[in-house]
Amino acid sequence: MTRLLACLLILIASTLPIQAERLISGISNDTVQITSSFDGERMTFFGTIAPEVGATDRNLTGPYDVVIVVLGPAQDRVSRLKTNNFGIWLNTEEVQFKRFPSYFHVLSSKRLLDITDIATLNTNFILPEAHAMVPNEAGFMKTLNFGRELIRLMSDEGLFGVQESGVQFMADTFYSAQLILPSNAPPGPYIAQTYVFKDGQIVARRSDGFAVRKMGFERFLALSASQQPLLYGIACVILALFTGWLGGVLFRR
Amino acid sequence: MQVYLPIAELSVNLFFLVGIGGAVGFLSGLFGVGGGFLLTPLLIFSGVPTAVAVASVTGQVVAASTSGALSHYRRGGVDLHLALYLVLSGILGAFGGVAAFDLLRKAGQLDLVIAVGFLVLLGSVGVMMLQESVRSLLKRRKGVVVRERLPNQHNWIHGLPWRVRFKKSRLYISVLPVLIIGLFIGFVGSLLGIGGGFIMVPALVYLLRVPGNVVIGTSLAQVVAMMGATTILHAVQSQSVDILLAFCLMVGGVAGAQFGAAAGKHLRGEQLRGLLALLVLAVAIRFGLSLVLTPSDVYSMAVTSIAR
Repeated sequence: MTRLLACLLILIASTLPIQAERLISGISNDTVQITSSFDGERMTFFGTIAPEVGATDRNLTGPYDVVIVVLGPAQDRVSRLKTNNFGIWLNTEEVQFKRFPSYFHVLSSKRLLDITDIATLNTNFILPEAHAMVPNEAGFMKTLNFGRELIRLMSDEGLFGVQESGVQFMADTFYSAQLILPSNAPPGPYIAQTYVFKDGQIVARRSDGFAVRKMGFERFLALSASQQPLLYGIACVILALFTGWLGGVLFRR
Repeated sequence: MQVYLPIAELSVNLFFLVGIGGAVGFLSGLFGVGGGFLLTPLLIFSGVPTAVAVASVTGQVVAASTSGALSHYRRGGVDLHLALYLVLSGILGAFGGVAAFDLLRKAGQLDLVIAVGFLVLLGSVGVMMLQESVRSLLKRRKGVVVRERLPNQHNWIHGLPWRVRFKKSRLYISVLPVLIIGLFIGFVGSLLGIGGGFIMVPALVYLLRVPGNVVIGTSLAQVVAMMGATTILHAVQSQSVDILLAFCLMVGGVAGAQFGAAAGKHLRGEQLRGLLALLVLAVAIRFGLSLVLTPSDVYSMAVTSIAR
């Protein structure tokens, strides 16, 4: 009985120092629609830092820093290295990355290393490089090298990025951030993880989801290609035959 | 105006697509080839994933060859009997080609094989065509009358067994070389995303001695049927046929081909063949260089599976 009581006490005690801050956040659109004229989309992430419900201290003392990590659906990717073999350049080495983010952008209110230490950034997967350090059968150093190159290649395509002044504080506790989702952003479920830092420590965090979806005709085409490949292929051929025939009729040579 | 391609999953300028379709269509109408050997590299170069480029161009080649095949058919320039043999063996070859395409893509060597394939094929065909056209241009200049090769001249190929009579081509030859040509072109065509007209025409003329009036028509009919089947195979096997991409290319290609064909009437046969040879060689050299020169980026990436 006493032991149970002790356990209960510890449990209560551990929850006692109520986290003083909580985060209320939102996204300008919860679905990004890919239509035939889709050419990227501007998104706004915003939120406010408020005192925790039932917190004794109602005054928030800043300054706060906000980091937003926008994560796209996971894909299996491979990073390959070309080497020169007897004068010919061939892909000879490769490292597979299972469940690698297809899209990864970090927005922060100031330089990430000024906000917190590198260990915190890495354990929370805030730095892109953290994804190159996950355990892989290729070995740590090789994975790190190939992962870094993969991240560089994806950055070139606008799929990975870090914007260290991407988050603006409109007031002491109110922030907003803008992100332009590129047209090659893969469709699927996205997560925006927002971290609030104070003195290098995470004091509040929240996840918001949004979806990038093909809509209308684009959706119909993509679905037919993957679910009715035979019919889709036949439709392609019929379209080609018809276009060719029509061209011949129109221009009658 | 940007258009989003649902399978390639990127947005491309519509006028760019119709434009390169039209430019390649013009050349294909001018020279009487499908144009796949130009279009596939152009698309890969402009950022379309290799697999999607090859598979979608296959669809465009069908459209580009259809109007030509139809007009030849109306003039009686298609040997359907011969085309049937070529198509059946071609489809068999295409099964192999599509399977090899898929395996190579997974192994990360697709780009290499495509580059080597283009280099070897285009390089050898280009050199042969250039030699032939330069020789006949020189002869013409000297005033020598160029004698057409007679269809009844025989070579070793005509001594093979299983002979079949092809009435329209006025041939009585073994089916073996016909089937082998079909198989080879089916395999190479589906692997490289080309119709193979530039291999088929010389093969029919020089190996089988098919008379000139049915060569182009038969080759075009074979390309339509075989590439149609290959498009379906690609759609089923790798799901990388982008119908919107193919359609944009078709529209440009079909229109451009008509203007090309009209322009071609102002040039002589040897001149046309010489120009085509130079074009083919240029593409071959471009691929050759990509193998030998230090690449601008030694690293590359690919998506191996999409978790949805």
